Amino acid sequence: MKQLVAITINTFKETIRDRVLAVIVVFALLMIAGGLWLGSISLGEQGRMIKDFGLVAVSGFGLIVAVFVAASLVHKEVEKRTVFVLFSKPVSRAAFIAGKFIGLCGTMAVVLAGMGLFLFALVWIVAGEASGMVLLAVLMIYVQLLAVVAVTIFFSTMGSAILAAVLGICVFVAGQLSHNVLALTRLGRNPVTEALSWVVYVIVPNFSAMDVKAGAVGEQTLAWGRIGLWTAYILAYVVVVLALAALVFRRKEF
Amino acid sequence: MPRRVVAIVVIVACAAGVVAYQATRPARAPADPHVFVPSPKFFLDFSPSFRTSIADVYYLSMVQYYGEHVNGDGKLDSLPAMVRLVTQLSPHFTRAYLFGAFALMDARQPGVSYEVLKRGFEANPGNWRFPSYLGFFVYAFASNKDKDRIAADWYSKAAAIPESPARLQRLAAVLLGKGGETGKAIQMWGQVYSAGDKYSRKKAVDGLDRILPADKAARMKAVAPLRDTMLKADFEALIAELFKGYAP
Amino acid sequence: MTVQDGEAIRSGAATSAQSRAAVLVRDLHKTVAVGFLRRQVEILRGVDLVVDRGEVFGLLGPNGAGKTTTVKVALGLMRPTSGSVQLDVEGLGRVGYLPENPYFYDYLSGREFLGFCARLFGLDAAARHERVEALLCDVSLVDAAGTHLRKYSKGMLQRIGIAQALINDPELVLLDEPMTGLDPVGRVEVKRIIERLHERGKTVMFNSHILSDVHELCSRIAIMRSGRVIWQGTIDEALDEAPSLEDFFMKVVTS
Repeated sequence: MKQLVAITINTFKETIRDRVLAVIVVFALLMIAGGLWLGSISLGEQGRMIKDFGLVAVSGFGLIVAVFVAASLVHKEVEKRTVFVLFSKPVSRAAFIAGKFIGLCGTMAVVLAGMGLFLFALVWIVAGEASGMVLLAVLMIYVQLLAVVAVTIFFSTMGSAILAAVLGICVFVAGQLSHNVLALTRLGRNPVTEALSWVVYVIVPNFSAMDVKAGAVGEQTLAWGRIGLWTAYILAYVVVVLALAALVFRRKEF
Repeated sequence: MPRRVVAIVVIVACAAGVVAYQATRPARAPADPHVFVPSPKFFLDFSPSFRTSIADVYYLSMVQYYGEHVNGDGKLDSLPAMVRLVTQLSPHFTRAYLFGAFALMDARQPGVSYEVLKRGFEANPGNWRFPSYLGFFVYAFASNKDKDRIAADWYSKAAAIPESPARLQRLAAVLLGKGGETGKAIQMWGQVYSAGDKYSRKKAVDGLDRILPADKAARMKAVAPLRDTMLKADFEALIAELFKGYAP
Repeated sequence: MTVQDGEAIRSGAATSAQSRAAVLVRDLHKTVAVGFLRRQVEILRGVDLVVDRGEVFGLLGPNGAGKTTTVKVALGLMRPTSGSVQLDVEGLGRVGYLPENPYFYDYLSGREFLGFCARLFGLDAAARHERVEALLCDVSLVDAAGTHLRKYSKGMLQRIGIAQALINDPELVLLDEPMTGLDPVGRVEVKRIIERLHERGKTVMFNSHILSDVHELCSRIAIMRSGRVIWQGTIDEALDEAPSLEDFFMKVVTS
């Protein structure tokens, strides 16, 4: 347990001190503010434009941070051989994987909270609306990204960091289109493709069912029960993926 | 030394070329009235997560498109498709319907305008603006014989929605009177009077005055139904004002 | 602690027959798959090694002999294909390791890094603070303790590496090329540290190419070549057969 805490804290320090992260965050804030300009040409729909494009920016930049940092976390340790220092001490491979994950989640919480609060403030100042739904949407984006981080870490235990990053992005996109995959399972043409589609549908996290962005602009009403269910689903998903990652990592030699 | 001079000259020439090209390009390319607008189905099959953002993008481009053409060549051929796309992707985007409807009037497509507003009302039955605009459209632009009745119908629907402005009821009442539906008009004015404030009451009395017969007995008969639909105190106050100056 | 046939078995001390052995390597084989076609390459071909408790042991050999691989298998960083490695300690909590050409987290300061290592051994806050400050003193890095490791010279990194290897006051210390990159003052400091460890009864095993250091510090040595131990014995025994340790080394390795 103490090792898990140590690695978590260390990973948090590592990721939050990353200068590239700061640059990405600055760009994200600029993009969110870009919603202001779009609002100015929208004939009075500033609030909606800022919210919509702001949330897309949070989603996009959150994804970039999640995927590129997660992909390098494990890979960097193996490449730079800090794993020798680490695993010559009584540290389990599982604690390592879990610590890396939780540490990065902490950093991402800080980053997304910052962007979310900035967006909230912008909406309040420009459109006079204290939109709690915006914060909720950012929270759900964060929850989705937890799954993406876990999957990226899993792929990074198997080899190249770039491949892990690309696959992480693919999983995010596939998750958004999850309901399309489900439709494939019901085409009724071929039981083999249906079964395969169903397997893919289960493996890929179902992000399309849990987006709150539309709610932020009034296109959707939301029940707290559903949010709780989605979060529980993602947490369970994360546990399974990290367990697989720890298994793969256990077999690794340095 | 000469090599450095050559390098500098090349770089400056390139920079000058870049600036010159941008500066002398025509500032605005002639805008094409025909714009490719994907069908809504394409995006509806796409992720629900980004539907509203895509709707916003097309809304903004719709506004730009309108701005470019309405005072220019006046051709707004792609406008109906754009309105349909935006409103199907984001059915609760009120302003898209309203802007679209008015823009389509400028495109000389009042029928499409009307349909847009009706769809908007179907998707947003709690929004009084839709039936209110529908009433206005019919009254202002329709050429049916019974347009007053249809308009009044819309205004009544609008007035029935909570938090709608009081004037909608008055408008409905006026139009009902004009359309010959005197009984309904009298009822509407009764409702307006019941709103209670001095302004509404004055409007109600004036409105009723215009449509009620001058003869006292006929007048009494005409307003009698209001006894059932108004509060006793309101009814008595209304009667007092309507029959002021009449012999008891 | 035993590492055998692919799995690490964290048992207690070595059997009574070899109760003096701190490190016992028996017929250790290790094969790795190299390259795109996963060609099987045998790195260790039956290593037999005994390191007695409390001695300073030198592991020598040309590059590619398998010295580092043997140590990695002992630590569980690699799994043996066959054979076993037994360490006379309760677990990795009592082992200290300095890898060759170490690289550490460059976003941490020296003090933060040692604190992190101490945490990994489960030391509480007070113990951590005490150990970290003591070791910073021992390796003469007190002034640079607040600087990020990114800014450390090679010698400073080597010294912080030795500090992290000793943070848990280990019974068994494994050092891979501990003198690399150190200036003469640094080398003297490290030698003193190794001597102090020896005085306190710790077992030290180190790889080195610098035979004068080996001569000075070690009581016993082993020479490896091509994945096997080809000679094992005391320094005196070696010097019986050749005028200097360098000559003996060349003689054994080229025979």
